[in-house]
Amino acid sequence: MSRPILEVRDLQVSYAGNRALDLASLAVGAGEVVGVVGANGAGKSTLVNGIAGWSRGAPRVTGEIRLGDVRVDARSTHRRVREGLVLVPEGRVAFGQMTVEDNLCAAFTAPSAPGRRVYSRDEIFELFPRLQERRHHLGHQLSGGERQMLGIGRALMMGPRVLLLDEPSIGLAPKMVTQVLQTLRTLAESGLAILLVEQNVRAAIEVVDRLLLLERGRKVLEGPASEVGDDPRIAEAYLGATAA
Amino acid sequence: MARMRPGFLAYPALAVLVFAAPALMGASGVAYSAAVLIAIFAVMAYGLDIIVSDLGEVSLAHTVFFAAGSYTTALLATRGGIGSGWVTLAASLAVAVACAGVIGLVTLRLREFVFSLVTYAVAVVAMTVAANWSFLGGSDGLRGIPTLDLSLPGIALHAKTDRELWPFAFALLLIVIYVVARFRRSALGAAAVMTHLNPRLATMSGIDPARVRLQVFLLSAPISAAAGWLYAYQRAYVSADVLENYFLILMLTAVVLIGRRQLLGPLIAVALVLMQEKFLSFGGEIDKIVLGAVLVAILAFLPEGLAGLARPLTRMRAQRPSAPSIPTTLENLK
Amino acid sequence: MMSTLLQQIINGIVLGHAYALVAIGWTLLLGVARLVNFGHGQMYMLGAFVTWWAVAKAGVPYGLALPIAMLVGALFGFVMQRVMLKATLEQNLVSIMIMTLGFGYVLNGGASMIFGSTGQILETALSGQDINLGELWLTWQDAAIVVAAIVVFITLKWILDGTSLGRLVRMVAEDPKLAMLAGVNVRWVYYGVFAFEGAAVAFAAGMVAPRTPILTSMGFDEVIMTFVVVVLGGIGSVTGSYVAGVALGLFTALFGALVSPAYTTAAAFLVLIAVLVLRPRGLGAGSAAGVH
Repeated sequence: MSRPILEVRDLQVSYAGNRALDLASLAVGAGEVVGVVGANGAGKSTLVNGIAGWSRGAPRVTGEIRLGDVRVDARSTHRRVREGLVLVPEGRVAFGQMTVEDNLCAAFTAPSAPGRRVYSRDEIFELFPRLQERRHHLGHQLSGGERQMLGIGRALMMGPRVLLLDEPSIGLAPKMVTQVLQTLRTLAESGLAILLVEQNVRAAIEVVDRLLLLERGRKVLEGPASEVGDDPRIAEAYLGATAA
Repeated sequence: MARMRPGFLAYPALAVLVFAAPALMGASGVAYSAAVLIAIFAVMAYGLDIIVSDLGEVSLAHTVFFAAGSYTTALLATRGGIGSGWVTLAASLAVAVACAGVIGLVTLRLREFVFSLVTYAVAVVAMTVAANWSFLGGSDGLRGIPTLDLSLPGIALHAKTDRELWPFAFALLLIVIYVVARFRRSALGAAAVMTHLNPRLATMSGIDPARVRLQVFLLSAPISAAAGWLYAYQRAYVSADVLENYFLILMLTAVVLIGRRQLLGPLIAVALVLMQEKFLSFGGEIDKIVLGAVLVAILAFLPEGLAGLARPLTRMRAQRPSAPSIPTTLENLK
Repeated sequence: MMSTLLQQIINGIVLGHAYALVAIGWTLLLGVARLVNFGHGQMYMLGAFVTWWAVAKAGVPYGLALPIAMLVGALFGFVMQRVMLKATLEQNLVSIMIMTLGFGYVLNGGASMIFGSTGQILETALSGQDINLGELWLTWQDAAIVVAAIVVFITLKWILDGTSLGRLVRMVAEDPKLAMLAGVNVRWVYYGVFAFEGAAVAFAAGMVAPRTPILTSMGFDEVIMTFVVVVLGGIGSVTGSYVAGVALGLFTALFGALVSPAYTTAAAFLVLIAVLVLRPRGLGAGSAAGVH
């Protein structure tokens, strides 16, 4: 694995005095897909939100976050995004009252640099033909899967070096899930570093290189997908019982 | 929830001290005037206090309720020839509740800022009406209001000067403070706070936020009207200037200066402001600038009010309610 | 009789464009930042007085006085937003509303101190000149108001719909948090919108104030009219504000002429109440935000 694009150390997140996440370390390299799994409330969303410096709430976040060689934890969300640390959040990923076309307009010009591939709108349409078909529709008129595609498309147009995704498969039909995750795999192959939070462990395992299991805000397991995928602790985290 | 033991004797002792205050400050006419005005404006502010601090909404119509109290009293006492302060009081309260009822019903299911805008508009329209309608005395107002007469059969209770008015003003203040304290300990008070902090949780607990809003609003209006009632007797003259913005800004400052939901907060704040006007004034316009600036500064830089300065930071953080999406903080959640 | 009616219609159209122009900054502020600016009326008053002072006391030509007033207004708007930034980002509406009231009161006191409490008349080259159309008339200032309002509205709509700046603003209006994730500096958008409100209301004041004497105690009626325009036109709707403004102007002119000139604000308010009771679209709890 080459020098990691994303390095996180001692990330601690608290909401109103309650510790939601305590992560000692995490690294993602170029072209790597790292999956984060865990039960509800384990801190998965908190993790990616904390890395992006973003939240719909008001948490207290401390820790070291490096993007390439640069420390970004003191920077505000939008500055991190412009540096290439892009998050596709859970829930609303696109602007419902704007057209698909308008959604696929970058708010800033991302510099083309080694390690940053800035996708054009046409490239997004090639990647997701469904979006092209519906280019004049408003965001809220799209289906769940189309909206996820739109969210990912918007993220790609910002030239991410690291792409954080929070549960992209929620509410999607199984075929859609496969399609989205496979697209991520393809993107990684062109050098993008991806940190993927997923409820759907089975689907995630197919596309990730490494897997991380969070439990109550702490990392309890980490390793290559092939080794760790069958670990009973993962099933336990979801089912609350020892799997056979 | 009610911690009575340690503070039990503090409140009565404080009450005695406050009652004796004007006497202690020289017992002059000026001292009693100041005391009476502080009491009146504090009562006016308490009406707004339960709406802003507990319900978490901004009503800009409480000057109208204050004015309703003053005008009703003035009209009945001058044109109506009603001598008894009890009758004018009852009428003032009734008119205020009626006005609040109309406003409340119209804005029942509308967003909070629409409610605020409507109350603002009501106040502006009331200003126009009061200044133009001859029934209300037009721009001259109503003069010659007789002095306060609260006599009951067998007991003569008059107040001809501010000194004589003070016990009545003080009594009104005590009653209102008691009402506010009881409200905060009541089911309605708890429902109001829950509606404010977490409307979804409130609905799931069987509380109808719209009804609670209306009820608290209906309770708050007569409080300010009672202040207006007494003001009419104190000034002996009522005109459209009781609807001036000054009273609104004074009320709002009174509610936020010391801290939200502090029982004696509005009283202390009104006293501070009125004393500044009396002793540290650099002219009417500068006073306005100062008052407005204080209001902005408190909310921008000291949202917990002056009382927040006395509280160590760590304790404040621990007391914050665990609903991070709700931005306003409340302390002293009794 | 007919010509009186037509005259009132002309008055109404002028008045309506004035209302729309006064409301445009407020409507954008509300639609984009969800801020209710209760200092709006006093900012209008400030704009009127700065224009008057520049023209009458400093001898500046009217065409220069307007941009000066706009600059002062924009600056004041910026300062207000800077002070209220935390509350804006937290969407603490109660604090914001009260703070804007406080700011308005400070403006009131400050203006009384600087400009005095007597009424003044802002005279411009245009306000003294009449345009006569047979028996009907209006001043060149009135015509300028109509033209200015139309230009401002068309420009704003074009910016919002057709430029990348407008797209940015719409993003922030709909979902400021999501806009942050899109790399938008939301703080600066808020500053910009509040500065726009300051400049727009000052411009409107400079244009409309010549029609009547101005007092440092004025401003309240303007807030009511603005509020009515925004409610009738739909929150955040630029086109809606224009249409509602003109409609309100016509209503006010006709009401003032046929019923009573002193109670026009009260009448407008009652129309508002009727609309709120009968058709509260977009104002019920939980309505979506946005600007269009």
